[in-house]
Amino acid sequence: MSQTTVKWDGRTYPYIPPKQLNVYASLSLHTEAEEKIDPVTYEVVRHAMWNINVEHGNTIMKISGSPSCAYGHDFNPSLMDEHGDFVFFGPFLQYLSSATGSAVKWTMEYRSDNPGIHDGDIFLTNDPWIGATHQSDVALIAPVFWEGKLFCWVGNTLHQWDMGGTAPGGFNPMAADVFWESGCIPPIKIVEGGMLRKDLEEEYMRRSRMPQLVALDLRAEIAGCNVARERLLALIARYGAATVKGVMRKLQDDSEKAFLKRLETIPDGTWRESSWIELKGPGDRHLYRNALSLTKRGSTLVFSNEGSDPQDGTLNCTLVAWKGAIASMVCSQMLFDQMFVVEGAYRHMEFDVTPGTISCATFPAAVSAAPPGVLLQTIALSGLVISKMLSCSSDEQLRTEVQSCMGAAMYPVCAFNGIDQRGAPYASFLLDPVGAALAGLSWKDGVDTGGWPWDLQSTMPNVEDNEWFYPILYLWRKELVNSGGAGKYRGGNSGELAFIPHGTEHISLFTASGHCAVPGPGLHGGLSPATTKFRLQRGAEVRQQLHATRRMPTSAEELQGKTEFVAPKAFDVSQTPADAFLLSWAGAGGYGDPFERDPARVVLDVQRGNVTQAWAHEAYGVVLDPQGEADLAATGKLRTKLRKARLRNAIKRERRKVEATRALRVAEGLLLADGQLACSKCEHEICASTENYKLHCVLIERPVKATNPYVLDPKVYVDDKMVFRNYACPSCGLLLQTEMARPSDPPLWDIQLAG
Amino acid sequence: MPYFCGIDTGGTFTDCVVMDEQGHITIAKSPSTPKDFAEGFFNALEVAAEKIALTLPQLLQQTRLLLHGTTVGTNAIVQLKGVKTGLITTRGHGDALIMMRSVGRSAGLPIEQLLHVSRHQKPAPIIPRSLIQEVSERVDWKGDVVLPLNEEEAQAAIRFLLDQQVEGIAISFLWGFVNPSHELAVRSMVHDLAPQMFVTCAHELIAKPGEYERTAATAINCFIGPGSSGYIQRVQERAKQLGYQHPLLIMQASGGVATAQEAARKPLFTIGSGPVGGVIGSKFLAETLGHPNVIASDVGGTSFDVGIISNGVPLTSSETIIHQYVFFMPQLDIQSIGSGGGSVIWIDELSNTMKVGPQSAGADPGPACYNRGGEEPTITDANVILGYVNPDNFLGGKYHLDRSSSLRALQRMADRLGMDVVETASGAVQIVEFHMADLMRQMTVQRGLDPRDFVVYAYGGGGPVHAVSYSRELGCKTIVIPLGSVASTWSALGIQSADLLHVYEKAELLIAPFAPERMNTIFADLEEKGRTQLREDGIADADMRFLRTVDMKFRLQIHRVEVPVSDGTLQAEDATQLMQTFADKYDALYGKGSAFKDAGMEIGVFRVAAIGTIQRPALSQQGRRGGETVVTHRDVYWRDLKHFTSTPIYDGAQLAARVRIAGPAIIEMPETTIVLHPGSEGQLDGYGNFVIALR
Repeated sequence: MSQTTVKWDGRTYPYIPPKQLNVYASLSLHTEAEEKIDPVTYEVVRHAMWNINVEHGNTIMKISGSPSCAYGHDFNPSLMDEHGDFVFFGPFLQYLSSATGSAVKWTMEYRSDNPGIHDGDIFLTNDPWIGATHQSDVALIAPVFWEGKLFCWVGNTLHQWDMGGTAPGGFNPMAADVFWESGCIPPIKIVEGGMLRKDLEEEYMRRSRMPQLVALDLRAEIAGCNVARERLLALIARYGAATVKGVMRKLQDDSEKAFLKRLETIPDGTWRESSWIELKGPGDRHLYRNALSLTKRGSTLVFSNEGSDPQDGTLNCTLVAWKGAIASMVCSQMLFDQMFVVEGAYRHMEFDVTPGTISCATFPAAVSAAPPGVLLQTIALSGLVISKMLSCSSDEQLRTEVQSCMGAAMYPVCAFNGIDQRGAPYASFLLDPVGAALAGLSWKDGVDTGGWPWDLQSTMPNVEDNEWFYPILYLWRKELVNSGGAGKYRGGNSGELAFIPHGTEHISLFTASGHCAVPGPGLHGGLSPATTKFRLQRGAEVRQQLHATRRMPTSAEELQGKTEFVAPKAFDVSQTPADAFLLSWAGAGGYGDPFERDPARVVLDVQRGNVTQAWAHEAYGVVLDPQGEADLAATGKLRTKLRKARLRNAIKRERRKVEATRALRVAEGLLLADGQLACSKCEHEICASTENYKLHCVLIERPVKATNPYVLDPKVYVDDKMVFRNYACPSCGLLLQTEMARPSDPPLWDIQLAG
Repeated sequence: MPYFCGIDTGGTFTDCVVMDEQGHITIAKSPSTPKDFAEGFFNALEVAAEKIALTLPQLLQQTRLLLHGTTVGTNAIVQLKGVKTGLITTRGHGDALIMMRSVGRSAGLPIEQLLHVSRHQKPAPIIPRSLIQEVSERVDWKGDVVLPLNEEEAQAAIRFLLDQQVEGIAISFLWGFVNPSHELAVRSMVHDLAPQMFVTCAHELIAKPGEYERTAATAINCFIGPGSSGYIQRVQERAKQLGYQHPLLIMQASGGVATAQEAARKPLFTIGSGPVGGVIGSKFLAETLGHPNVIASDVGGTSFDVGIISNGVPLTSSETIIHQYVFFMPQLDIQSIGSGGGSVIWIDELSNTMKVGPQSAGADPGPACYNRGGEEPTITDANVILGYVNPDNFLGGKYHLDRSSSLRALQRMADRLGMDVVETASGAVQIVEFHMADLMRQMTVQRGLDPRDFVVYAYGGGGPVHAVSYSRELGCKTIVIPLGSVASTWSALGIQSADLLHVYEKAELLIAPFAPERMNTIFADLEEKGRTQLREDGIADADMRFLRTVDMKFRLQIHRVEVPVSDGTLQAEDATQLMQTFADKYDALYGKGSAFKDAGMEIGVFRVAAIGTIQRPALSQQGRRGGETVVTHRDVYWRDLKHFTSTPIYDGAQLAARVRIAGPAIIEMPETTIVLHPGSEGQLDGYGNFVIALR
């Protein structure tokens, strides 16, 4: 399609709000804001507004009573100003933020004329090209009027049980386009002047397989908006509209100030990351690239998806979801002390997107599977490009936010259904992988089974909860030793579970995920973590084994039968009582060259059961003595030997040593001095800072599975060839960066400093 | 004359309340003795004994009941100072305690810390993986044995732990609460090898699904067990030596007391019992005064605690978070925020705005006015500057506060904000009072309760200072400062007024329509357990009460509602009535139309609270002399008037009942100060409570 036909209006192409919203003249906005507010009033109003948003969220949770709300935190309330710019967003799923703001801005542009935006109205949308991450997330937005003027907006998003379409729950793995999925609803005025429109409510419920529950959630979302609106009006009545607006502005301005102050410590440049998602649908055997770059120019951050593969099958994600993914890591890494007032950053973020790609799909691509797939993976990539940028900051505190790839960077959806132990039909999916793993940071290890950075309170179900509700018996559920990416600071370990059918004759399994064939990245020389694995041990006959051995098996190796790896896009896979099902999810990436890890930490890891002695030797070059303590002499020797081995193919030439005292650190292993990039360990120069340092490193190409003991040969799942590239300092062998690539890919220029 | 003595050990003081047969109350305070809290316990009793002209042995010989609230268990877990503990659990599931359901990295963190993900960390494990022993055995959800206990593995596990010289062994198996045979077998194996070992089986503490929370509770019980039980036994023995002839009763977080013997086995249930006494005391007083709905608010030095009494019953919760560990136990629902007298006033550099707390100056160095090296201004400093608190009469004149230090500390703050020092002080107090009101609002509105239907009880050193402001913010009309000077030892009074309480639970999924036969069987079983325990406690059958409840929910929705169940043998009509009661209660809590009735209802947990009522004297009306005694006038800053006004200062100890005092006024009590803002009016009632009406 030629560039001239592109309209960013949320129809074919995603909605991108213009700097100045085009709002119909009859809608007048309240813009008056007090500039001088005394500190006491400010603090009192600020606190009250935060609590109004909290009460908004609690009201939804209270009325809805939905498990996705309470356990999945799959919702979020928000408070926005008169332009739809954020004031507060709740502490629940962070990637939902861009949806609500986008929905408001679109509504102001396209609904202020007809049907008009008036006091007491509430609009509803689930359109992923306008204001939703996917069709199951329904946003409600309510204007708040004061003296006839639009003062601000309150809104929320809540995941729904079923919004209709060809598959229950909305996701059809065979979907060729969005018409196979739940329908899209561009903003409609569901509540008019305080009255819920019966006609629209019924139209809305009619599409769902569970209309009563959808209706209940709708009431919950409306009640949330109403509570927030009423309390805001009381606040305005007490402190004055200009004062309340002034506090909103100050919150945004202060967050912006903090954000800019942080940007000032960072040189201009471009940082890139890419990762792989496999299988556009059942039967496919290919890999697709999800690419993200971040360019900092002065006080602006530009995020681009250049290099992402074209939209295809069920892989796709819309711009709304993609922006939300990025915003969640911007908040987490750069606005942690600003109550996540994301507007401070949004004012300086631009999105330069190539449409028609898996990360910026155009209508009518199938997009309902975005959250567990490209969306989550983009969160991981955002964390990585932001980390690469922050690594260049002169602010030591800010550099403590630098982190590798999060765990379970694509959600291992494992849905299952059948007849339960009480004889009733059931359908659900496993929530155990919520206990993902946090990434290795620049100063500490990732938290084992520590959840995600974008869900602040990720909570796994108990084994007993699942056995109580579903006809399964867990053999084990444990942390998976070695599953975190190795590194100077290792990634958090993930977990593994195994179950057999119990009280049923048959379980039908569905999967949807990625990172089975190729793991997510490590950072600055840290290695990749374990991949996700769905597997059936056919004919394991665990009950017989228990009877014979009187011992519970606790690992795949202890099971009999034949191993069948289930593809990450599979449906209706049958498990019988003879079969054991195993699921292990991807760990988190490591940070920094593992040979730089303090041997004492490795010893502790071995003692605590987080790392095996063999992996300590292989990945970390640490030798343990018979007492289990580090043999420092042998360790030093082994590490020297292994570093030398990295240098086998290095081009030998004279390299100047830079003056380290005058250098700026731009990555764990890279210094910038006098226009040259140099190794931070041996201080020898590598290349000019205007060149891709990887071209001047020694490249060690290894099979993908060398990165972690749990990684399989990708050919188990895909036909594409992949390599695991290690880039090391040509002088001393320090591992500077790793990447997973097709053999034909040029080395990714991931740290490109300006000028 | 028989006495009832309540002793509450706090961080700084040990409080004692003694009630005689006529319902007269004597209070005493003595410094707490962290090296051995037992010392402070008896010191406080001795001070009380002197006040009624007795020796300590004389008092104890005449004491009918000795009731005690201890923080020994809480301290041990908060400071992670317990014994080396081992865990024996189901093979394949030893990591449940390590994984902490993932949420252990952030559970219970205040919002500012919750948002800072790069700082999230799971706490150091109470039991390291090296002391977690997995044993082959497996029971399923029905209680059927899938894999019998492998006794050789169990033997090896026990021997390993004994070799490691553990001092406590926790035993927790999957579904052990449905079928405890494996846990019991392992316990007896432990005792065969080590008869003195402190052992806890998970099923004895908790009978609900959720292996992480149950195992965490069991681990914590063992971790603090030997220390807590040692302390309790020391107190009990010493009391006995001094002539006390009855059982020592220990306060539980559930709001009732248990015998020392029981508490020594299950010290877990004493964790978090600190603020419970205050709420139970409020309940006791509310019954006398006829207040069905009470917000019990306690302003201490570092925190603000709120509990709710609705229709005469304190609200409870079943989940506790301590040190990021989540565990189940029946307890009063008391929420806290870091707002108190010691809360530090500070400036957020970037936005140049004023913040208060949650950091506290604590007792040492304390507020600037203590002159103990504290440089940062606190709420107490602000109260001194505004004239609310008399620097010469703080805690009954025990301490002298230095107003000039307060002024200096706050002036620095004011300069940076470009404000007047008094405005700054007043603003800080306003901010902290709004935070308090917000917590109270959350505790009521979000539970479907209207705060305007509630009377606020305000105690703790700072409650009476701030109550008028925070209560007005909520729209409450009445405040009670309980028993005047007793307000500062209110928890001890609460402990003194508590009954014996044991809570028994059984988790079983029952789907509506409920079979009454099954319910009868379960309740009969739970009540029998309660009766046996109460008899062991020495309670006569006539003094026993059994309150039945079930946790119900609509299927496909998550909210569990505790619904009362009628006594006696249940019939089909009772089961139907139960469904109606639940639906009504659900509507009341979560709003009309919030129930998804089509999905049907289910019961998840059956519960019996076995209460052993302790007969006590009723609170006495106090004959008081004196009159309206304005001791002096002082300049006090009133926010509503925006200036200092010469304000009457009353001596609370001299005040007569039913003399109306209109704000603005200050009433100085021996241990606290009542601040009557303009628009409020108060008087003492016949019991000695100061009751404030808000306009």
